Amino acid sequence: MTTVTAGLEAAPYADVDQTHPTGPSVRGAWLTLVKRRLALSAHTPREILAPMATPLLFALVLAPALAKMIPSGGDLDYRTFVIIGTVGLLIPLACTFAGIGVIVDRKSGARRELLAAPIPRGLVVAGNLAVAAGLSVLQVAVLMLAGWARGSHFHTGGTGIVWFAGAVITFTVFMYSLAEILANRIPSQEEYVGLTPVVAILPWFLAGSLFRIADLPVGLAGFARALPLTHALALLRYGLLDRRALGLHDIWGMTNTTTEAALSMLVLGVWAAVFALLSVRIFNRSAMA
Amino acid sequence: MGHTGDWTVEVEELSKTYPGGVEAVRQVSFCVAPGEVFGLLGPNGAGKSTTIGMLTTTIRPTAGSARLAGFDVARNPRQARAVSSVVFQDAVVDRALTGRQNLQLHARLWGVGSETAERRIGELAEIFGLGSLLRREVEHYSGGERRRLEIARALISDPKVLFLDEPTVGLDTRIRYELLDLIAGIRSRSGMATVLTTHYLDEAERLCDRIAILHQGRVVALDPPKKLLHELGHELVELRVAGDPGEALTKLRHAGIAVDGAFSVGSTLTVPMDRSAADALETIRNLGIDTESLTTRRPTLDDVYLQLTGSRLAA
Repeated sequence: MTTVTAGLEAAPYADVDQTHPTGPSVRGAWLTLVKRRLALSAHTPREILAPMATPLLFALVLAPALAKMIPSGGDLDYRTFVIIGTVGLLIPLACTFAGIGVIVDRKSGARRELLAAPIPRGLVVAGNLAVAAGLSVLQVAVLMLAGWARGSHFHTGGTGIVWFAGAVITFTVFMYSLAEILANRIPSQEEYVGLTPVVAILPWFLAGSLFRIADLPVGLAGFARALPLTHALALLRYGLLDRRALGLHDIWGMTNTTTEAALSMLVLGVWAAVFALLSVRIFNRSAMA
Repeated sequence: MGHTGDWTVEVEELSKTYPGGVEAVRQVSFCVAPGEVFGLLGPNGAGKSTTIGMLTTTIRPTAGSARLAGFDVARNPRQARAVSSVVFQDAVVDRALTGRQNLQLHARLWGVGSETAERRIGELAEIFGLGSLLRREVEHYSGGERRRLEIARALISDPKVLFLDEPTVGLDTRIRYELLDLIAGIRSRSGMATVLTTHYLDEAERLCDRIAILHQGRVVALDPPKKLLHELGHELVELRVAGDPGEALTKLRHAGIAVDGAFSVGSTLTVPMDRSAADALETIRNLGIDTESLTTRRPTLDDVYLQLTGSRLAA
């Protein structure tokens, strides 16, 4: 035990500048919260490298193996089809696991210190979201690079990449917001983890990740059209694989692919905006008694 | 709005009623001057933590108002938080981060410049004996080390108001006394007002300039500890009587021994002495009261609380 002997009578910095009465700038506070979350969730090489195992496994092993078993339909490369479909699994898993950090903060972390800070409390959610999005994007990049190295062919036209990147970011915002809401509403970590398969994995099977939703029974296809993931996957494939937009056509049944893509992006954007606002509102409400 | 009066903390008729009608805090009023250590003393459930929660803007008041350095906690919560810091009852730290990272986080969130922050971290690390610990992750700290870190962290932003919510709960006796010395030392710091909640009587008596005793959400007494104790005299006689305590109290009053401050709880009579205890004991024996035990001692804040509320504060 360290013996504490130093004198305390004089305030050592009584003459220095006073704390600004409104605290730091919004940007400064947000960057601080981003750095904090990064330091908590990705501060060792193991914590950064371990999440890359799943995209590598899918790109290097599972997608090629599935492509061998299942012949490609039409001119679509099934291996590339599955690799892009895997994005719809990686993002929900990354975001859902990021939500565990919210529960740890609440149960045994510095959440109350953050609530006592002179910052808009919604920034805590925004900081967590930024890190979850960053890790998701990193996983997606690793997946795509590994897929390309294994022989997948992506259409990398300018607008295609914009649709792809837009869908990745918007879907990540939706998924992390959902995770944040659940983490603030569900009392225990065990209960939260138990929900992960339902939230992150089940929709993946229905949203056209491994096959077109047109091949689902009629009722399930209707349900799939309402899932944000279905729109995200259709946009991702429209961006990098399928310029004929079969996935978008299965959802909307229109002839103009740009209109279909814009509508799906709108649907995804509305889901993301509503859930993002809801997640901040629920965080603020859970912070105040 | 900035600081307008002589008080750093101004609380007026503050109340909190939780959904379901539980009145946790009822019309609590007090003020704390710059440099003063103000204690909120009461058992669990008295309303101390709810009061601190309202002052730190995590609990919304049902009625009344409170200002920290002139900033209303309901109308200007960010400004109120900017001039205050909290040391929570439980450990509230990022355990996976080092001590230094926890201190730096507080500095950045409170808008302290990095140069100033590093200087303060160095100074506080020396004062709180944290120098060699700051590089370690907090999950490897002992309870006392973590608490010292949390108090140092609260001071990084040079707050005008420091809230200490049961700062020594759960610590062993030796570490508790070390922390009390530290807290006593920071009282004169930059004219900072300190609001301390505790249910430890010695802690309140040792540290606080004034104490508000809370009982069932109300302030039942508010004075310097010496004054509260003085009202019970220099010495108390405590009698456990075998018969009717009310009758025994009446006999003591008729004999001029029991003054207004005397009270009974169960079979125990507590009688403040305004004369020599030896004389009083002789008189009590002569009154023929059937006593099971009879002792004299100095009054404590527990006696004050017992007199005011009829129940004991100390476990």
